[in-house]
Amino acid sequence: MRLSVAAAISHGRVYRRFGLSPRSRLDLLRNLVTALVRHERIETPWARADEMRGYAERLIDYAKRGDKDERAMRMADFWLTEKDLIHKLFKVLAPRFQPHAGSYTRLLQIPNRDGLDRAKMAVIELKGNPLPPLVRPRRDSDRTLLNQLLKGYRQDAQRARGT
Amino acid sequence: RVSSDGKPPKFQPPPKPVIIDRKTQKEESRFLSPEFIPPRGRKDPLKYYIERKDMIQRRKVFNIPEFYVGHILAVTTANPLASDKCSRFVGICIQRGGTGLGATFVLRNVIEDQGVEICYELYSPRIQAIEVLKLEKRLDENLMYLRDALPEYSTVDVNMKPVPRMDHEEIPVNKVQVRMKPKPWSKRWERPKYNIKGIKFELPEHKMQAAQKWSQPWLEFDMLREYDTSKIEEKIRKELREELGK
Repeated sequence: MRLSVAAAISHGRVYRRFGLSPRSRLDLLRNLVTALVRHERIETPWARADEMRGYAERLIDYAKRGDKDERAMRMADFWLTEKDLIHKLFKVLAPRFQPHAGSYTRLLQIPNRDGLDRAKMAVIELKGNPLPPLVRPRRDSDRTLLNQLLKGYRQDAQRARGT
Repeated sequence: RVSSDGKPPKFQPPPKPVIIDRKTQKEESRFLSPEFIPPRGRKDPLKYYIERKDMIQRRKVFNIPEFYVGHILAVTTANPLASDKCSRFVGICIQRGGTGLGATFVLRNVIEDQGVEICYELYSPRIQAIEVLKLEKRLDENLMYLRDALPEYSTVDVNMKPVPRMDHEEIPVNKVQVRMKPKPWSKRWERPKYNIKGIKFELPEHKMQAAQKWSQPWLEFDMLREYDTSKIEEKIRKELREELGK
């Protein structure tokens, strides 16, 4: 009897199970969302970051409605345990993401945790944060064939323009 | 008034009143039958589009009126065994379920002290006529608790005449608080998961408090469970208007 395959089929359920109960799962994710809003870049196990991403983006969508909205304020009050961050959410993050339609966060995987569990870790950050960038986009080296040919073409064009 | 030439001033007719017909405009965009809205899932939207085309085809031939849970309807279906070849049933709509062509509604009535519930499919070709006899909404969207309520709340007169609709604007909400038979009930209606507002609970206070143990106050704040249908509804309404207008 192959019980493991049957256990891996979720039958359409998309929410992961964390903590002791559904209430505890929401509390865990709430702490992570508060930390993200406070520090704008956090390092957590990948599964928690992935789960938290959806909630963080929906929270920002609610914040975009403005702080006069009753429902938006109740949501922010529940999701942010540190109440000074409510001000930051409505006054700093909502205007920052107003031009964007969605995808306000970036999720990148990092090497496994050093402890005994070797958990798959990830960094989740809000885009447009003031910290130094995580990924530096690298240009191709100048020594590749294509780049040398392009350089030659550019020099010829310049010489032709000059004379 | 001083006239320019000493002649009486030329008669200026008053400006014609501009009639903006807001009522018909409002009615079109207000109601969308719930079986048109596709459920949340990973299915290809093409499947729902094809189903909607079939539903529109049926609606062009047969008129399905706008109705909600709590309305009193009379349905005539084709029945080969009856003498007239058709049978008529009158009852309160207690539930509307399903999406697409399999959409159903359940009518309940008490006939000769026996409660009868019949589940009809909206788009079944056996249905020959659906008439709305009385329009009234109730406080809940699911009136299954009428099974455990006193029979007087589910009885509908079979020979009832259609009540004429006063206004073309709002459907009245009947805020009746239904009285129940003694427990046990088919479901524990006092629990917060059913969120029923239309029952007058005559249970003792400690039982009501004990039922609140099963409440899940965090569910209201779980943002990913919300299904925002406004954009989908707009698209479907536009589609319906184009197709049925032809």
